[in-house]
Amino acid sequence: MSGSTRRDFLKTSALVGGGLVTADFLALTRAALAADTLPAMAIARWSETALAGADLTAAAVGLTEAAIASLGGMDRFVKKGDTIWVKPNIGWNRRPELAANTNPDVVGTVVRLCKDAGAKTVKVGDHPCHPARQAYRNSGIAKAAEAAGGKMVYLDQKRFKDMPIGGEFLDKWPVYLEVAEADLVINVPILKHHGLTKCSLSMKNYMGVIGGNRSAWHQNMDACVTDITQFMKPQLTVLDAVRVLTDHGPQGGNPEDVDVRGIVAASTDVVALDALGATLLGHDPAEIGYVAAAANRGLGTLDYASLNPVEKILS
Amino acid sequence: MSVVERARRIIWVRRAVQTAVLGIFLYLLTANRPADGVAPSAPVDFFFDLDPLVMVSTWLATHTLEGISLLGLIVLAVTLVFGRVFCGWFCPFGTLHNAVASVRRQFRRVAPRTEAYSRWQRAKYFVFIALMVMTVLGAQWIGVLDPFSMLYRSVSLTVLPAADIAMSAVANGVYLSDPHLGPLHLRDLTEPVYRWWQERVAATELRVFSGTTVVFLIFTAALVLNLVRNRFWCRYICPLGAMLGLFAVRPLLRLTSDPDQCNSCQKCTLACPAAAQPELPDQWLATECFGCWNCVGSCSNQGLDFKWIPPTRKSSAGAVDIGKRRALASAVGGVAALSMMRITPAANAKTYNPALIRPPGALAERDFLQRCVKCGLCMQTCPSGGLQPTWAEAGLEGLWSPMLVPAIGWCEFECHACGQVCPTEAIQPLPLDVKKKAKIGLAVFDTNRCLPFAYGRECIVCEEHCPVPDKAITFELREATQRDGTVRTLKFPRVDPDRCTGCGICETKCVFKDAAAVRVVSANEDRHPENQPILSGSDPFADPYGNDPYGNSESEASSGY
Repeated sequence: MSGSTRRDFLKTSALVGGGLVTADFLALTRAALAADTLPAMAIARWSETALAGADLTAAAVGLTEAAIASLGGMDRFVKKGDTIWVKPNIGWNRRPELAANTNPDVVGTVVRLCKDAGAKTVKVGDHPCHPARQAYRNSGIAKAAEAAGGKMVYLDQKRFKDMPIGGEFLDKWPVYLEVAEADLVINVPILKHHGLTKCSLSMKNYMGVIGGNRSAWHQNMDACVTDITQFMKPQLTVLDAVRVLTDHGPQGGNPEDVDVRGIVAASTDVVALDALGATLLGHDPAEIGYVAAAANRGLGTLDYASLNPVEKILS
Repeated sequence: MSVVERARRIIWVRRAVQTAVLGIFLYLLTANRPADGVAPSAPVDFFFDLDPLVMVSTWLATHTLEGISLLGLIVLAVTLVFGRVFCGWFCPFGTLHNAVASVRRQFRRVAPRTEAYSRWQRAKYFVFIALMVMTVLGAQWIGVLDPFSMLYRSVSLTVLPAADIAMSAVANGVYLSDPHLGPLHLRDLTEPVYRWWQERVAATELRVFSGTTVVFLIFTAALVLNLVRNRFWCRYICPLGAMLGLFAVRPLLRLTSDPDQCNSCQKCTLACPAAAQPELPDQWLATECFGCWNCVGSCSNQGLDFKWIPPTRKSSAGAVDIGKRRALASAVGGVAALSMMRITPAANAKTYNPALIRPPGALAERDFLQRCVKCGLCMQTCPSGGLQPTWAEAGLEGLWSPMLVPAIGWCEFECHACGQVCPTEAIQPLPLDVKKKAKIGLAVFDTNRCLPFAYGRECIVCEEHCPVPDKAITFELREATQRDGTVRTLKFPRVDPDRCTGCGICETKCVFKDAAAVRVVSANEDRHPENQPILSGSDPFADPYGNDPYGNSESEASSGY
């Protein structure tokens, strides 16, 4: 069923048009910000003194709520009746304690805030490396998202469609149709180590909306990830650093590699958020290939401090 | 209530029971889904626990009895009392045969000649004897013809995946083309159905199984043959039917006929699915009869009835004469078949097929084949879909037994479901933490393909997917000169054989989809010390005589088969 339909044509037209304007992406974002003067970034931290014995479930919920609220609340991004695609990292069949997937309570809270803001449907899905059913369940995300009113979607291999990425490296690539059709995609990655790119962050998390031979991307990861980020036109990204995987990423598996940080950050600028993430893992953001490449292309700023992030300390 | 009226009621009860049992069979089949890396909660191997043929053959082959499989004794006890009611009332495969046979009259004229007893019905006893002889000698080939194995294998490996492909084609066709009339979209109708199908029935990503055409053709043939003879399979071939027949020589409940009432109309002959000669007084064949009551219900003169008769009284029944010579010939045939299967080098542990990667917990090949009934439960429950039926890889003896094909799917780290569902423990039910360390093979790099080696390009896909927490694939940083003379530092992967379990995810995920640049072979598998080329221990030269370097004192050659 790869024949072109009217709907595809309309979508393609819209996407090509979208691609043309993304060069002005940053400028537009800035303009929008200037208009309503809402913050572009928020960082919520659990106070370090209280972190030791903290209930991480409560912390994850509170931090996520605080981060979104500091950005101006979910109403800023979600309109009544919207269909939202929440994109956590559910790459692996691993328990939450191993920090290979996004914290389920962060995901659940994002879903709930979307529903509260009037979203009609909140779909939650990823394209895992491990079997989706096992990964969705063992990550705890299926339970948390469904309890919050979200709908877990198992990606169907037949529903990836070639889309005009129009990037500097990728001309076209199969993207999941339901993701492309959503009114808003909220990227909810986890901060973790990555063997190839040093850290896996928000931009890298977009690998879960694509199909095709994804393994091939590793030959030119920086360009591919930058291209898909440009195509996705991120509006809201929520970075989970409640538990952080510090080694043997992206899959992990060893509890000794997990570090409890108690941080959730959210931003309209995905590059700035990834710069923050890289910093949290002890890297200079300019050394993370795809983050630097995206900044060079004008998708955002490496100097996240210049966005004057709102900081909240919880305990 | 007349005899006929009573019989007709009993027939309706029988049909209800048959439908219910078939329903339970199909429910358990769809309940055999991967769940959280542990076994499915439903007793998915229930029918195999109940199967006396599996019980006896496993016992004969391995000289061990599993507690739960003693349920098969209940079936044997019931048969001693009621005859082969298992075939007529219970067997879900038999019920399917009934269903197909019910349309038979629309295809061909059914005459008493085709419905009467045929001496070919002895064939199933010959099959049974041959299989039992093979079993005694340690080859479990029962599974190829056991009705539960055959039905389960056929439905789970062919019918269900085919249905899934059809559902997917329709639902995705509608979804992608989105036909609609104003606000009415056809996909609003198809999507919920498809979602229900995916979550409740298929419960996995689309499954494909290699070499299943023959499985499907045999299954189809077994069903279509009902158009030739009512319940062809059950009459002529089924080894379980034959076994139960041997237990039904003198049941307590027997068909009795009143010769004075018989007008030789042969209605009972036409009604009998088993060709058990209800029409001949004193010639009723207890070993063939399914106890279905059709004959009693068909007799206009109320001349037939099932009655309780003490076992001490020799039955007023005929007997199928298998014949000593034919029985002996069958036994010889079994030995010949077994010997033929065993001629191969692999069957004698002279060679090891690198592609024959057995699931974790699988016993040494000889022990494994003594138990595996080729039912397909493990293949169906494998969450990655990597467990596939063998075709030639394990020889004819191992036909349709499970092997991991990493090009299709891998052994999922957080999963031990195959060993949990295996009805005969051919795959041992390893605890999850033990299974995680079980070695089923070894990853081997093809440096003529692997990107850093062959093309000077970056790629770390195998390493990032390696599930061992401290990674069985490690990197050596090396410089690679590019075409333009520039030098890049690349990560060259290497396998640590002490850590590699042979799970195969590196091969599945390798960027090469035709023949992966890292492939898993059966070398280093726990179950065969002789197939372990690499000394265990991080430093094999440290103390070569201290501990047993093979990690296993008993060599395969001395294990006594």
